[in-house]
Amino acid sequence: MLTAPVGLIRDLDPKRVMRAQVNGQDLVVWRASNGDISAWDNRCPHRGMALSHGFVRGNDLACLYHGWHYGGTGVCRYIPAHPELDPPKTIKATVFSVAIADGVIWVNTQGAAEPAPVPMASQPLRSFHVVSHSESLARACRTVAFEGAFPEQLEQGLYQLGARQVFLLENPLDQGRLQITALADADATPEGCAALSRWCEAVRRSAQEEKVAA
Amino acid sequence: MSQFTLYDYVLSGNCYKIRLMAGLLNVAYDTVPVDFYPGLEHRGEAMRALNPSGTLPVLVAGELILSETQSMLGWLAASFDRSGMWYPVSDAGLHAQVLQWLGFSARLTASVGAARLNAMLDWPTDIETVRGAARKDLDELEVLLTDRVFAGQTWLVGDGPTIADIACFPYVALSPDAGFEHDGYPAIRNWLYAVRSLPGFVTMPGIHPLHELREAESDG
Repeated sequence: MLTAPVGLIRDLDPKRVMRAQVNGQDLVVWRASNGDISAWDNRCPHRGMALSHGFVRGNDLACLYHGWHYGGTGVCRYIPAHPELDPPKTIKATVFSVAIADGVIWVNTQGAAEPAPVPMASQPLRSFHVVSHSESLARACRTVAFEGAFPEQLEQGLYQLGARQVFLLENPLDQGRLQITALADADATPEGCAALSRWCEAVRRSAQEEKVAA
Repeated sequence: MSQFTLYDYVLSGNCYKIRLMAGLLNVAYDTVPVDFYPGLEHRGEAMRALNPSGTLPVLVAGELILSETQSMLGWLAASFDRSGMWYPVSDAGLHAQVLQWLGFSARLTASVGAARLNAMLDWPTDIETVRGAARKDLDELEVLLTDRVFAGQTWLVGDGPTIADIACFPYVALSPDAGFEHDGYPAIRNWLYAVRSLPGFVTMPGIHPLHELREAESDG
């Protein structure tokens, strides 16, 4: 899986920064004032500081350390210590391909981002980390009851919970963790989404306990 | 005019709760720095005379001496917040929810706070138990804040910030000091950002200001 889900666009407002990981690559994912989302190597070209500690200025990302500004193409646009200098175009953050689909932020660190299809009309549910692996998680999804009944797995990642459906996207992280981006069916009410979010948490705990017991 | 004296240690998340609440309410106060580390001055006889439990912070306002942060937050809001927003005691349900979160904030001090002291100052503690409790508390907060997202709400209680948010904020914001990053907690991240956006917000080492909010004055 070259294109990986790194979270929900609902959780990343304009002018906000978060950290993510795809294929072992540490990423800064940030959203400009104009709404554009970028995913870069989480490393300032100047002194190597994690850009995920940085902050958004207009449509630039500024490093927290010395305030160097980088625009959407990754090119350095401003160095506060040398305000008159037009920075050389060779000072550039490493930029990766991003795509938005189904409210999910997708990143490919090796080519053009191509989101995986979501097999239902969906809405964002939640994104979380779990210390577990795919098999344990799928087992937990089938064995953690929702409103008194066991969910039915319809296909990879897709579960029927009574009248509701949940689709779980996986992104493997380091240290035996998975990042899960969960979507709910588009018809779920806010109360329904909260109930499905609680189910996700029960699944998360169950999958982690199995991991600990193993 | 100074309204109280805070016996303070700059790296303490609990002392910071009081500095933060005073900043948000625009209340003037004096501080007395206490050498928590390495001097352990808070456990010395002079401080014990003021606060027999030997803990920080201690708040002194005339005859009133307070040594629990929850009581200080309640006193600050009741004394200096004319709006009633920060401590909504007139609504029994909201009041009870605030008290619930004040209890949770004490759990955070004992879990994340203790893990942080151990990481930063090599403070003796049962580190495995404390780290397990810290992870559990952060997971629990993330789920409850996700519920708030679906309810269209930003804050822990009701539709505005309360002392519950201020009581819980510091040790959650400081959890990376103990190795608990916020990457897997989007609802916590957005709630922390909302607190940091409040007018009158004050910082401490490890909690920096939102530079992006000063865009207009510094970029122009």
